Amino acid sequence: MKITNLIKTLHSRGLNAEKICEGQIKVSVSKDSFVNDLHFLQSIGYEHLANINGVDYINENEFEVVYQIYSYSEKIHIIFKVRIPREEPVIQSIVDLWEQAQFYEQEVHEFYGIYFEGNKDLSHLFLENWNDLPPLRKDFNTEQFSEELFGSKRNGGNK
Amino acid sequence: MMNFNSYSLTKMTKDDKDTTYDLFFGPNHPGMHGNFGYVLDMVGTEINSVKPNAGQLHRGFEKLMEQRGWVQNLTLVPRICVMDPDPNEVAYCMAVEKIMNVEIPERAKYLRTITLEMSRLTSHLISIGGAGASLGLYTPMYWSMADRDRVLDMFEWLTGGRVYHIYNIPGGVRRDAPRGFFKKLNETLDYLESRIPEYDRVLFENPIIHKRLKGLGFVSKEDARKTGLSGPNLRASGNVIDIRKDAPYAAYPYLDFDVITQTGGDAFARAVQIRKEYKQTLDIIRQCIKQIPEGEVHASLGNLGMLKVTPGEAYAKVESSKGEFGYYIVSDGGLKPYRVSVRGPSLPAGFLWAQKHLPKMKIDDVAVWMGTLGICPPDFDK
Repeated sequence: MKITNLIKTLHSRGLNAEKICEGQIKVSVSKDSFVNDLHFLQSIGYEHLANINGVDYINENEFEVVYQIYSYSEKIHIIFKVRIPREEPVIQSIVDLWEQAQFYEQEVHEFYGIYFEGNKDLSHLFLENWNDLPPLRKDFNTEQFSEELFGSKRNGGNK
Repeated sequence: MMNFNSYSLTKMTKDDKDTTYDLFFGPNHPGMHGNFGYVLDMVGTEINSVKPNAGQLHRGFEKLMEQRGWVQNLTLVPRICVMDPDPNEVAYCMAVEKIMNVEIPERAKYLRTITLEMSRLTSHLISIGGAGASLGLYTPMYWSMADRDRVLDMFEWLTGGRVYHIYNIPGGVRRDAPRGFFKKLNETLDYLESRIPEYDRVLFENPIIHKRLKGLGFVSKEDARKTGLSGPNLRASGNVIDIRKDAPYAAYPYLDFDVITQTGGDAFARAVQIRKEYKQTLDIIRQCIKQIPEGEVHASLGNLGMLKVTPGEAYAKVESSKGEFGYYIVSDGGLKPYRVSVRGPSLPAGFLWAQKHLPKMKIDDVAVWMGTLGICPPDFDK
């Protein structure tokens, strides 16, 4: 019952919501309004931001930024998805809504090259002296990278 | 050649006669938990500001998982948390099962629960020992590592592996428990329970522990909910939140247990929280052994080596000994995952709360602060 109500509420805001399984829905939101929608969800009890991660849909030439949010009172998990074009990977920061978003955004920036407008520090957390393509992009070739950096060959160069 | 910035981090500042300096509190420090580091800007023994220095453990698991088969990845995921590996396996399998809409057999649910809780025992034993060792009280660390080995022996008998078990697979578990396993497990639990009063006497009733831990690293009830803390850290601040109750998985819906909470919100409350959950875990395993039904341990999904997962996405989460382990998996219908994103429980504490708590703290409290918050670097630096 709770889930159907939530989906109705989200539909009335013009969002595309769909149930995945018990206690879990996914929502696709446009890049322009997603901060307002996250703020709305936070105000109705979705107070736990579990993670922010990126997905590279290279065939559709788009990145997806996924916010995993959860309500401790409703016990519903929302997979909140925002698509942005691959050529211009810029999205608004949500550091003002959740403090820990600072570090998740740094991580997504580091591994996908997505810029978060309003995040003051997008320095690298994990990679050191990295000048290559952001490594979790689908067009980053790990084998070529290790051949160039370490001179290593698959199967020691045999076959 | 590569040029690592880290080498220049320990240099003393020249201008103010060595009273302010940068201290590289890294993997070479005996109080550090794992291959992680903080660059501490110190004034004497007091911390002025802190900069996390992660990346020394980065192995690119999320990228590797996109290049390996669905079942091959099971050998990678446990390595995301060394002390408590099973929640990773289970969360990964649960996400796959959610996408494929598979229900696992009842006996497999119980076996999963037993491995999860045994894994929690091994992790809590390190936490209990670590709470003492990071204050210079090494006895409980020696005891707890010896006790932990008894649980590892049981793991070896059940799964073949001591530290990484790779026991859970999509659709259930790899094999049934060997004959006589539950009887021996019961004896191990009885032994572990008989040890608890010893830990209480040396650690939790020790006035020095009380003095050092009380008031250290306070987190309020609301802040804990807002900033993404999970598991024992959340409950030690008075929140009645437990994924095992809120979004039940495996055999937890059939088990009878309460959510333990503390009200203190400081390092002492978190240490006591771990100690109480340790006792509760023993009871949960005993219940599982009593209730476990006979039957299959694995739903048939065909040849697992050539497993194809239907296109879709799901998020699955498990209550580990440190908090919420979440796996967000996207499948495009192929032999490999399209994307696996891991949510580890330590990031909010290791990065955000480090910057809130560490300034004005003394250097000698940093190790115990990390220990009681359960910061396990591999789960964010993965």
